[in-house]
Amino acid sequence: MHSPVEQFTIKSLMQLELFGYDISFSNSALFMMLAVILSTLFLTLAMRGRQMVPGRMQGAAEMMYEFIADMVSGTVGNEGRPYFPFIFTLFVFLLFGNMLGLIPYSYTFTSQIIVTFVLALFIFIGVTLIAIFKHGTHFLTFFVPPGAPKVLIPFLIIIEVVSYFVRPVSLSVRLFANMLAGHTMLKVFAGLAVMITGAGGVYAPGALLPFLALIGLTGLEVLVAALQAYVFTILTCMYLNDAIHLH
Amino acid sequence: MKPSGQTEPRQIKSYPSGLLAGGIVMTMSNVALAASEKGEASGGLPQLDFTTWPTQIFWLIVSFMLAYLLMWRVVVPRIGSVLEERHNRIEDDLRRARQASEDAEKARVTFEDMLANARNEASDKTRQATESIMNKMDRKMETANANLAKKMAAAEADIANAKNAALKDVSEIAATSAIDVVRQLTGMKVTKTDAKKQVKQAEKALA
Repeated sequence: MHSPVEQFTIKSLMQLELFGYDISFSNSALFMMLAVILSTLFLTLAMRGRQMVPGRMQGAAEMMYEFIADMVSGTVGNEGRPYFPFIFTLFVFLLFGNMLGLIPYSYTFTSQIIVTFVLALFIFIGVTLIAIFKHGTHFLTFFVPPGAPKVLIPFLIIIEVVSYFVRPVSLSVRLFANMLAGHTMLKVFAGLAVMITGAGGVYAPGALLPFLALIGLTGLEVLVAALQAYVFTILTCMYLNDAIHLH
Repeated sequence: MKPSGQTEPRQIKSYPSGLLAGGIVMTMSNVALAASEKGEASGGLPQLDFTTWPTQIFWLIVSFMLAYLLMWRVVVPRIGSVLEERHNRIEDDLRRARQASEDAEKARVTFEDMLANARNEASDKTRQATESIMNKMDRKMETANANLAKKMAAAEADIANAKNAALKDVSEIAATSAIDVVRQLTGMKVTKTDAKKQVKQAEKALA
């Protein structure tokens, strides 16, 4: 019986090295590239017809575009327009990564804390730089909640600063933990079904229970995959909005 | 837009979930470490194997940059242009529909004006025609009446003349008849002058 977390193991597919660092092309890298290639193929092929009245594929591609466009204009406003390609890329990359991970024998790169953390850290640094370029030292007022009682202000500043610097952690851990928990759970139920079947005899029909649970969980994980891509993206939009508009 | 009102509850909510997730990671890694200490095959949570981090960071940067370039340069402009085209087309169609409905309204107003004018004109013409016919009729009636009156007057004059002529002839005829009657009955010859005298006397007696 394999450990349920063994599925997250990084397996090198091609040995590569750069400045002494191991940058082997691994299963994680393969699925990152697959996510990029498949999403680009889907979005370009779907739009190939450029139809006035979109078909099913074009409708799906346009829906994704408009979903993110509405999200950016809804949370950031007009100033968010230059960042739309980045936000859209982020959503598509995470959505395809999460969804591809649900295919049996595939790899979920979003279940890697380092992947989600580097993404979150990049967003955090980028958003902070935008805020500093836009507002200069005025940016520091972001840590002073408006209309707070004078006595509480030092205390509140500490809370605000901590909550600000926790952002990359909470952002990355939310996605990572959801993927980790979901895929571990799927593996546990699948393993249980196999184990009970293996016990054979009168116990074998009992394997149906974890199997049915597995089907239900897979449906749930599809929802989680889409939802977590959405949550990651909309939180990025909100951080961007904070950077552009402060309070 | 109220950024602070929107973000704050989400941030507050994110702390427990973040802490919880962190706790899960810690617990799982502890479990995994404990398992490895017991001498089992698995070597802890694979995500916490730092030796795999450089390759993942490298390939994340490569793939995400590639994704960004493709989306930025190819996908977003492509979808955007189709959406814009459709948006413009719909706007254009709506504008044309509004224009057409305005034109139709204008045409209706013009038509109604023309109809009203035509009605007025028609009733004017009918009235004028009626009036002119009535006038002509009146005039014809007058001339006809005048002619009639003239003819009646002429006829009455003729009748009067004829009557007078007839009355003159009556005494003449009476005189000659009287001469003839006397000669037949008596054989006497009566002069015309006498006969006329007698007729005049008889006329006076009869009158």
